[in-house]
Amino acid sequence: MRHRLPLLLCLIAAFLLLPAAAPGAISDTAVKAAFLPRFARYVTWPASAHSSGPIVICVIGDDPFGRMLNEAAASQQVDGRSFVVKRLTSASAASDCAIAFVDGGRTEEILAALGRQPILTVTDARSSGQRGVIHFTVVGGRVRFFIDNAQAQARGLTISSRLLALAIGVNQK
Amino acid sequence: MRSLPKSLLEWRTAPTAIFLIAMLIVAGGIGIILQNEVTFRSARDRQAMVAAEVLAGSVTAAVDFDDPVAAKEAVDAFQVNPQVRYVAVFDGGGSMLAAFDRSGKRSRLSLAQLPAPPPTNYRVAVPVVSAGERVGTAVYEVEREAVARRLTRYVILGALAVLAALVIVTLGLAQAALHRANRELSERAEALSQANELLAEQIAGRAKAEEQLRQSQKMQALGQLTGGIAHDFNNLLTVIQGSADILTRDELADDRRKRFAKAIVQAADNAAVLTSQLLAFARRQPLKPEVVDLSQLVAGMTDLLDRTMGERIKIETSLERSTPPVTVDRNQLQSAILNIASNARDAMPDGGTLTIRVSEIRSEAGERMATISVSDTGAGMDADTASRIFEPFFTTKKTGKGTGLGLSQVYGFATQSGGEVFVDSEPGEGTTVTLLLPCSEPGMAVARQAEEPALPEQPRAEILVVEDNEDVGQFAETLLTELGHSVTLATSGEEALELTRDHDFDVVFSDVVMPGMGGLRLAERLAEEKPDLPVVLATGYSQEIAQSGSGGRPVILKPYRLATLSQALADAISGRS
Repeated sequence: MRHRLPLLLCLIAAFLLLPAAAPGAISDTAVKAAFLPRFARYVTWPASAHSSGPIVICVIGDDPFGRMLNEAAASQQVDGRSFVVKRLTSASAASDCAIAFVDGGRTEEILAALGRQPILTVTDARSSGQRGVIHFTVVGGRVRFFIDNAQAQARGLTISSRLLALAIGVNQK
Repeated sequence: MRSLPKSLLEWRTAPTAIFLIAMLIVAGGIGIILQNEVTFRSARDRQAMVAAEVLAGSVTAAVDFDDPVAAKEAVDAFQVNPQVRYVAVFDGGGSMLAAFDRSGKRSRLSLAQLPAPPPTNYRVAVPVVSAGERVGTAVYEVEREAVARRLTRYVILGALAVLAALVIVTLGLAQAALHRANRELSERAEALSQANELLAEQIAGRAKAEEQLRQSQKMQALGQLTGGIAHDFNNLLTVIQGSADILTRDELADDRRKRFAKAIVQAADNAAVLTSQLLAFARRQPLKPEVVDLSQLVAGMTDLLDRTMGERIKIETSLERSTPPVTVDRNQLQSAILNIASNARDAMPDGGTLTIRVSEIRSEAGERMATISVSDTGAGMDADTASRIFEPFFTTKKTGKGTGLGLSQVYGFATQSGGEVFVDSEPGEGTTVTLLLPCSEPGMAVARQAEEPALPEQPRAEILVVEDNEDVGQFAETLLTELGHSVTLATSGEEALELTRDHDFDVVFSDVVMPGMGGLRLAERLAEEKPDLPVVLATGYSQEIAQSGSGGRPVILKPYRLATLSQALADAISGRS
C-alpha cells in the first residue's frame, strides 16, 4: 500500500502533461523511450558484466523521457530480467549501467568519461553530434538510428545482425 | 461330360481373378492419388507455415523498432515465388507495417480489415515474437495449386492405373480365351479319335461282313457247281444205265445191241468232255503244251466254225501272220475258241458277223504276248453279267441249251497257260472276248498236228496193271485181255513192286493216285530196280502231275479209250525194245 500512492500521483501528473507534449500521436521521444529497453534484446554483453539481476538503463545528463522511460521499462522483460531506470548526472556512477542514454550539452564529456566500459551508449542527433554506439535520428518522420559496431566491439558488446539490419548506417571500422 | 465342371469352373474363376487384380490396381491408383493429395496438402501447409515463421523471425527487429522499410524488404523477398499471393507484417496493435499483395488490393489494410482468403488461396498467420512477447503478426498467403492442374495430374495417374488394369484384363482374358481354345481343341481331338475308333470298328465290321458274304457266295457257287455236275451227270447216267439195262437182255437183236452200246459210248464221251471242262476251269487239267501258230490254227478252224455258226452268221478273220507262236495245249485252245464262238452265235440269233483277230502286243513288262480275240455283233451284256460269265454253271441260256461250263473252260485254260482272258461288252454293242497268251521261246518248232491214232496191231505182252479201284482194275484187265495181252492185277504200289521182283513184265500200267505208294513213286522205284521196265501212268486228275509233270513217262487220261490205251502201251513196249 505504501507504493501505490506515489504511482497514482505520477499517473495523474502524466495525464495532465500529455496533451501538451504530444497531442494525437505518439511522440518521437516516446518511441525512443520504448526503443531503449528493446535494444537489450539484440545486444549481448560480455559474460563478466550485467549477467544477472535487473538490467539497468541509465539516463546520464538531460532527461527528455521522464515517466515514459520508466513505463516502457516496466512493461518489458528480456529473458526474465526486468529493467531498472537510473538517472545520473555524471559518468562516475555508471559502472552498473547496461544501457546509458547520454543527452544534453555535456554529452561529449560524459561519453569520454564512460571510457570503454561494457555499456551500450545511446545518443540523440537532436541534441548532440556526438555519437554513442547507437545514435537516434529521425528520418521521414520516423525514429531511426545509426550503429557504431566498431565502438560496440571495443566495449565488448555483440550486436545482433537483425538490429544492424535496421540501422540506417553502421560503422564497421 | 467329365471335363465340363472343370472347364466351367475355369471359365468362371479366371475372369473373376483378373477383374479382382484389375480392381486392385485401380484401387491402388486411387489410393496413391489420395495419399498424394494428403501429402501435398500437408506439405503445402507445412511450407506455408515455415515461410510464415521465417518471415516472422526475420521481421522481429523491424516490428520491435517499427521499421516498415526493413519489414517491407523482408516481405518483398517472398515475391519471387509466383504462388505467393499475399504477405504482410502487422505490429502488436494490428497496424500494417509492410505488405505485399499480388492483386494490389489488400496492401494497405490492417489486420482487422483483412478479409478471409479466397478459396483458391491458403493463409497462415504467425505471431511475431520478440523476447517471449508477441509484438506483431506475420501473414503468409499462397495460392493452392490450380485444381485443374492437380486434377490433370491425378487423371493421368488414374489413367495409368486404368490402363494397367486394362492391360491386365486384356492379357487375362486372352489367356482365358487361349485356355478355352486349347480345351476345345483337345475335346475335338478326343472326339476325332473316338470317331476314328468308331470308323475302325465299322471297317472291321464291314470286312467281317464282306468275308461272310464271300464265304456265302463261295458256298453258293459250290452249290451251283455240285448241282450242275449232278444234273449233267444224272442225264448221262440215265442214258448209260438205260442202255446197259437193255444190253443185259438176251434176246436183243445184234444191230440194236450195237446202237445201245454206241449210246453208252456217246454218253461217256460227253461225260468225259464235262469233266475235262471242269478240270480246265479248276486249272487242274493235265495240259499237253506244244508250240502252236495261232494264225494257222484259226485258219484251220474256219470250216469247222462255218458249220458251227450256221448260215446267218458271217465269219471274218484278221490274222497277223507275223504273230509269234505260243506254247499251249492245242486241243484246249481249239475248245476255248469254239466255246467263245458258240456263245457269240447264241448272242446273235438274228445273224451277224463273227470276227477273229490274231495279233501281237507287248505287255507292260515288255514281254511279247499273242492275242486272239473273238468279237460278235450281238446283244452284248451288262457289267454284272460280264463279271460272272467265267463262273462255272453260270448261264443266261435256257435250261438244256448250255452247261454254263464253256467260258469257264476258257478262263481255266487261259490262266493255266500263263495268259489272261478279258471280256469287253456293252448292252447292244456286241461282245469281244480276248485271250492273251505268252509267246513261245524263240526257236521252238511248230508241231504238226498229230493224227488220231488207229488201233495198232498188238503183239502179245505181259502187262502188270496197278489200280486200287477194283472196278476200274477189272475193266482194264478185261480190255487188255480182250486185246490179247496177259494181264496181272495189283491193287497197290507195294504189291506191284513185289510182283515185279518175281516176274518179268513187258510194261507196267499204273494209276497215279492210290493210297500208300502212288503211281509216280512206284515208277521211281521201278526206275531204280528195273530201269528197262516201261511204266505208263493213267490219271483222271492229279495235282502232282499237273504241277510237276510225270518225269517223261507217258500219261493217259481217264476216261481213256481203248485205242489210246493200246497205243500208249505199244509205244512203251516198242520204246523198250
